[in-house]
Amino acid sequence: MSLLPLPSAAQAPGSYRFRSSLGQHLLVVQHSQIYDLPEQETDADISLDHALSQMLARTLDNEVSLDTLSLPTVQSLSLNVSSSCNLGCSYCYASQGNFEGKQSKGMDWEQARSSIDRLLAGANPQAPLTLGFIGGEPFVNRALIHQCVHYSAQLAQQRQLDLRYSVTTNGTLLRPEDHELLRRHRFAVTVSIDGGSVVHNRQRPMLNGKRDSFAAVIEHCQPLLDQPGMCKLAARATANSLSLDLGQQFDAIAALGFQDIGFSPLRSGSALALQEQDWPVYEQAMISLASRELQRALQGQQIRQSNFATALKQLHVGASSPYPCGAGGGYFSVASDGDWYACHRAIGNHDYRLGDRHTLDAPKRLHFLQERHVHAQTDCHTCWARYLCSGGCHQEKASRSEASCDYIRHWLTFCLQSYCELSQARPDYFTHCRPSPRASNPA
Amino acid sequence: MSLPDIIKLIPRNAAALRRTQTADSAITPVAGNPVSTRLESGVGNCYPGLEADLRNLERRFFPFLEVDIANTEIRIVAVDSTAVTAAALPDAVAQKYRDLALGISQNQPCIISRINGNFGPFGNHDLNIAQLRRPSATSTSTSASTSTAPPDAWTAVRLLPENTAISLTIRLGTRSISLEGRRSTYLSGTGSLAAMFEPGELTQSLCSPWTHDFRDCGCFYWASNHPDIAQPPTPDASEPGVPWLAAVPWERLDRSIGSTPPSPANTTPPEELGHYAINHQWQSLNFVLEGRETIRPYKPGKFTAVPLASREELQLYLRYAAGLELAAIQEYLSAAYSLRSPASLAAGSLRNRVAASFAELMRIAYGEMRHLRAVNNVLQSLNGPAYTPALQVAKTIPDAAGNQSPVRARILDRQAILDFLALEQSNQSADALYARIYATLRQPGFGSDADCQSIRYIMAEGQDHFETFENMQVWLQGFQPSQYLHQNLVQAPAGNSAYKALQTAYRNLLEKLYAGYQAGMPQGAVDINSARSDMVAANGFGSAARAVINAGFLLSFDTISDTRFTSVEPPPRL
Repeated sequence: MSLLPLPSAAQAPGSYRFRSSLGQHLLVVQHSQIYDLPEQETDADISLDHALSQMLARTLDNEVSLDTLSLPTVQSLSLNVSSSCNLGCSYCYASQGNFEGKQSKGMDWEQARSSIDRLLAGANPQAPLTLGFIGGEPFVNRALIHQCVHYSAQLAQQRQLDLRYSVTTNGTLLRPEDHELLRRHRFAVTVSIDGGSVVHNRQRPMLNGKRDSFAAVIEHCQPLLDQPGMCKLAARATANSLSLDLGQQFDAIAALGFQDIGFSPLRSGSALALQEQDWPVYEQAMISLASRELQRALQGQQIRQSNFATALKQLHVGASSPYPCGAGGGYFSVASDGDWYACHRAIGNHDYRLGDRHTLDAPKRLHFLQERHVHAQTDCHTCWARYLCSGGCHQEKASRSEASCDYIRHWLTFCLQSYCELSQARPDYFTHCRPSPRASNPA
Repeated sequence: MSLPDIIKLIPRNAAALRRTQTADSAITPVAGNPVSTRLESGVGNCYPGLEADLRNLERRFFPFLEVDIANTEIRIVAVDSTAVTAAALPDAVAQKYRDLALGISQNQPCIISRINGNFGPFGNHDLNIAQLRRPSATSTSTSASTSTAPPDAWTAVRLLPENTAISLTIRLGTRSISLEGRRSTYLSGTGSLAAMFEPGELTQSLCSPWTHDFRDCGCFYWASNHPDIAQPPTPDASEPGVPWLAAVPWERLDRSIGSTPPSPANTTPPEELGHYAINHQWQSLNFVLEGRETIRPYKPGKFTAVPLASREELQLYLRYAAGLELAAIQEYLSAAYSLRSPASLAAGSLRNRVAASFAELMRIAYGEMRHLRAVNNVLQSLNGPAYTPALQVAKTIPDAAGNQSPVRARILDRQAILDFLALEQSNQSADALYARIYATLRQPGFGSDADCQSIRYIMAEGQDHFETFENMQVWLQGFQPSQYLHQNLVQAPAGNSAYKALQTAYRNLLEKLYAGYQAGMPQGAVDINSARSDMVAANGFGSAARAVINAGFLLSFDTISDTRFTSVEPPPRL
């Protein structure tokens, strides 16, 4: 690893004072430290908070500095195994896997095998590895998925590597043999489902003329929901300007049996993207839903809203990162032609192409990481949430707005408050939390 | 705008906790600061409570309340409203605390009138605090033994076990308020004092700084980790001479450092600082490190011994170490018995010093027997079934000049003490025998933890023996050897009956030790204990030694031809 200095802006706030039902708290921005404050007559004392944050901001030996740029080993790789899809989602970033003609065919075995070999050969064996499948709909090319899993699992076992798998699917094409594959290996399965039948069918129609994609998801995912085996099943719903009744959507998905349900706002690339006036509505809906989940947690139940559950656990461990994901760092996505891209959403985008089937372009990779570091985002210089949000998705930087950033800060404030209250009332909830590597967040 | 004097941050998440748990912020031992300086270590003191007023531990026995305790009254003086709020109590309970806080702020008397709980030996009680009584001096023994309640309020609170359920009845003005909770614990989960205690709270109400309190106490009253006597600071950094080894009062009035040391504590002690002078001049009291008042920068020694090259070399070193212990036993015994019998001396200082010197020499000789066994334990651990006891005496022994001298009978003259000091000190240096053995055993695959501890034990006792010989040097320095030694001792002829009896007794010791070591523990305990008994019994080895001395002969030991007990050479590179 090489380390390059990348200092933060001088005006960047070092702390954020917030209040929960327990009283006042201080978030020291560096490394996301949370402290309880004694009650005082005045709510805010800028000079005091500034002094405290400076005293506490140092980086410990076992922490990664936020002011330097490092080049980690590649630990996660996603393979674009297919370039087509059986659904016609109106807001698909990938044009159903075709990426507007830049990925016109699926991946072949030789391409996949060489990518797997490269991942296993170059990764840090002390850390987990992840092999992901993405595309269009990955199970359009199910034979390749099966072959890749069997090959890589055997290789990882020989080398004593902790190899895990992930797949993002619309859930409509799963067959019994696919269920068995997912059950037998440590798969993180993300099913794209937007809500009840009305919402889902409207937004994710079948291309074969049949309209009821929702019924297809139920039919083909139910066996996994009933018997997940080693896989972890999660639902991911897209929120757009026409579907902001998140509570209703959440309940419909939960009724199917999903215990892990997350929302992703549609920010760009479609006429349905959230507009300025939509963000407050989305924020209210998210916080309202999370409040319900918080009450469940206080009564001893698990939090099912994955946005909220993940945020709480990340706050507990003090997760703090200058990047929103591992793109270009520990994560790459391989196009069907063998080119390596920093992100699976950027297939065909020259700026994100950082390597080919043989090698990574080190100077370009370094430049990419320098450019995407949160310290290089001028809009983030005055934000206390810069290491929790990390500037947001690289692909959506153009859609960043004051309204969407206000949403982030308000959401995180709610999460901070909730963390303090939940950790006070139910410290056991966090007993088994461990710092976990930041997983890539496929769309 | 200046910062507040005090602000207390309580870590909430893992990232904040890491700041208080990392190496550079954790409480770690440093040179010159014994662990007993922490209040939690007060139990190490012979008389706990002298570092703090232990009564203050009970001021916060009930959650969120601070109390003053008199004999028959417990007055609530403060409510920790912040903690009450943070605890998210049921509103009805929180309201009670708010009422108490308001009443206190309005100067209403706030008295705990009853405590219901478990009072240890007195059992479960609902105590009326105002009615607690000490047993009357005129009570008969029968009525005194039937006391059924704690004698006073503090004792009652003290008896409540930590974390047990208790309930209070509180009189606030004309109101009666009941509270239930768990008796607070003294320590937090990390072994430190609970966070509820405010800085300085436990030491308030001590009458004076501890240096003031202890001046007039006899030295046995205080824990050994507090200096009342110490070796004085030396004028320069050179090795101090014998006069500087005597301990002097630490709080002496004359703080100057002259060319001669202050009067020792065991003669006519110099005048000490007065009580209030201690308070005013506390900064003139020197730090005591390794038994000496230190005025120059302290540099702790570093252990830099070079490990031995091989297991074979380690075996050689260990066997020679055992031989050296045996050689030391021989020389120490002969020196001990060269002292005149205390009974033959006139009562007085010299008689006491001779008696003390003899006793200490014998104690050290017994210690060497333990070292001998410790080395054999290590050899047994390393060799397993192939082990044979190491009881061959060293052929040579280090002396004060740094040479290897033949093992011989000694009389306790000045040269002998210097040689003994050199022998014990040699075990401490980095290139010494045990240091290299220890460094080798610590390497992975060489020795177990128990083996390392055995060698460390020997090295530590060597330090103790060194200091004892220093003391002996001081005790005898004012006298001529002719005053305390048997005169004109000569080598005994081989045929002398007393001499032969001594050799037989010594041989028997070795035989028993060999059998005991060979059998290992616990089977060998009988033989080993029998050997030790022979050493100390009045009609055992001691009587044989006395017979030789009384005949006018040196106490010496013949070389034994048996290969189990013959001489052993030093390792080549030692």
